[in-house]
Amino acid sequence: MQMILPKDWKGPAALIASMVVLGIIFAVLNPRFGSIENFRNILFQVAVPLIIIVGTTFVIQLGSIDLSVQGVMGAAGMAWILLSANTRLETDYGIWAWVIAIGIGLALGLLAGALHSLIKVPSFVVTLGTWYMGLGIGIILYGDEMLPSLKSSVLLAWPTQLTLGLPNAFWLAAVILVCGNLISRYTHFGRGVLAIGNSETIANNTGMPVNTIKMIAFTLAGGLSAIAGILATMQLGAGSPDLGSGQLFTVIPAAVIGGTALSGGEGGIMRSAIGVFLLIILNNGLVLAGVNPAYQSGVFGAILIAAIVVVARPDRGILKIAK
Amino acid sequence: MKLKSKTTKLHTAGKRIGAAVMAMAFAAGMTGTAHAEFKKDEWVLVASVINTTNPYMASNIEGAKAMSKKLGIPLEIVNSNGSSQTEISSILAVLASGKKPIMFVNTVASSDAPTIVDAVGKAGGFVTIWWNKPADYHPADVGNHFVAFQKHPGISSGECGAQAIAEAIGKKGGVIGLPGVQDSTTSQTRVAGFLQEMKKYPDIKVLDMRPSNWDPQLGAKNARDLIVKFGSDIKGVWSADDGMQIGAMQAFENANLLDQTKFASDGLYPKTLEDLKSGRGKNAIVGETFHRGYMASAVGLWTAYLAATGKIDPSKEPMEHRESLFKLSCVTPANYKEYLKYDEAGAADAFVEQLEKVGPWAAEPMPLVGGGAEVMPK
Repeated sequence: MQMILPKDWKGPAALIASMVVLGIIFAVLNPRFGSIENFRNILFQVAVPLIIIVGTTFVIQLGSIDLSVQGVMGAAGMAWILLSANTRLETDYGIWAWVIAIGIGLALGLLAGALHSLIKVPSFVVTLGTWYMGLGIGIILYGDEMLPSLKSSVLLAWPTQLTLGLPNAFWLAAVILVCGNLISRYTHFGRGVLAIGNSETIANNTGMPVNTIKMIAFTLAGGLSAIAGILATMQLGAGSPDLGSGQLFTVIPAAVIGGTALSGGEGGIMRSAIGVFLLIILNNGLVLAGVNPAYQSGVFGAILIAAIVVVARPDRGILKIAK
Repeated sequence: MKLKSKTTKLHTAGKRIGAAVMAMAFAAGMTGTAHAEFKKDEWVLVASVINTTNPYMASNIEGAKAMSKKLGIPLEIVNSNGSSQTEISSILAVLASGKKPIMFVNTVASSDAPTIVDAVGKAGGFVTIWWNKPADYHPADVGNHFVAFQKHPGISSGECGAQAIAEAIGKKGGVIGLPGVQDSTTSQTRVAGFLQEMKKYPDIKVLDMRPSNWDPQLGAKNARDLIVKFGSDIKGVWSADDGMQIGAMQAFENANLLDQTKFASDGLYPKTLEDLKSGRGKNAIVGETFHRGYMASAVGLWTAYLAATGKIDPSKEPMEHRESLFKLSCVTPANYKEYLKYDEAGAADAFVEQLEKVGPWAAEPMPLVGGGAEVMPK
């Protein structure tokens, strides 16, 4: 377990405790919240943001930011569905659909990483650019024809099918999460990311290949956003360039809630993942509790602040929050 | 010398005439009055859409292209990318090109309308706004350059869906609803129509309404949560548009509940039509409304064109020609075939031809049915 659990587990433990408290409250309000059906529903919903957050966490640990998530998802999702058996085109490239779609994500990530590390363009700006490039690719692929839908019943059913009682979508996310965590903790790259986030100057002086590490992090993030785009397309059964809509504002807050500081050099993938669970459970619980939609956003924000202030505050350096 | 003097006189006279013409043109431009002589090369057609990925918006563009082809006037498409700011700045950029606009705008937000209308007026153009404008902002109060505000009644849309679901589930059981963006007038009127109509069926319970922002993903997510909450008590699902319904149907299919649930929505998107034809989920789709984006943009542009050419004087038109409600057809599995012809290749061109013959207020399948603001049921 120590291999997976972060060394500093107090913060995550506090967050998990807050999730349990929330879970109990929601289960009292609606017993169906605690049902196995809802458990699977939540696991199905966390899959896409969990995949994205692995890449996002690497980038944030560097002290950078990746805003391109939604654009990359749109481009990869559209490319994948148009190259798989769909209602618009006759073509079915099978495995090549995956290769090309993920390739688009990797390429956009590499472009962002190269511009950021070699030409020193701030990551905020460069990934904003690749966001819109991705969206542009998605829109061009979409054209003005009919919405492409997946034809393959196997692919359509795959994300919800259960393996060992849990949906496949979640298993995919779990495998990526564990691999990401292992890379983060046990490779030169993973340790390099944290070192750069702590002090790029020191990392440079020690002879660390800073630019290469940065480029790998952005490329990885692009590739993972592409996989998330493919999974989201499979879950919806149809392609859309706007497929990633709203994901950026799930993953970045989730990473920060989990304790991955935007200033870099801190946090971890498993902690970010807990942040994702907290956000998804909160949203799901509010719907099941029957909170009036007009109040839902407000209640969501208030509970989130309460959870962070009460539970996670002792884990934070007050000076960092003051920023 | 004589020759020179004559030339100078002619030159001076020419200058005076030129100045007078320019002054007239300027005055005409400023007040939004049509030119006595309509010169095509002075004008540009503009179609502003919320995005280019929604099938309805793509159809808006198709109608504008057909109109451009028919009139022989170039077309500029403005893609707002879902942002009022992008919409307004892009429109201002088009207006700065110097040509006078004949414009159709599918506004991102109601509050965008006055800024756009004002800019079009200053550029000497004419504009028709579709779907969204502030409730107290009326074309007749603004001037001839705001030729008309047009829409399909949202209340009828909600009523169509409610009737179809109620009949299909035997007038009893639980239903859920997926409205669009909560503060959008279009969604609010559709929801009001749906809830009003459902009151006629005392044995039907509206279990929950979860706004899903016109987003298929959010529609699917909310549907999944509501499936957990109510399970097989959900007999019917109403969505304020087909995008959200596409997501909701996938969620019900994944939960193996599609075969026992009935769906109704608005728009009859190509994907929905395909599901209706194939009888997906044991004929899960029971009700739709029919209207097409190309018809809206063509009617909007044609109305503005009539004003630009002086064929109509907006200020003398009746109120329902300035604030128009166009017919919305209820579609069921029994009658959907009647509407297939409107999706055939060349349908937009045929619709434009029809507009030329009958004008913007009498074209099938969307003749004018009323005017003024929609009255919300209590």
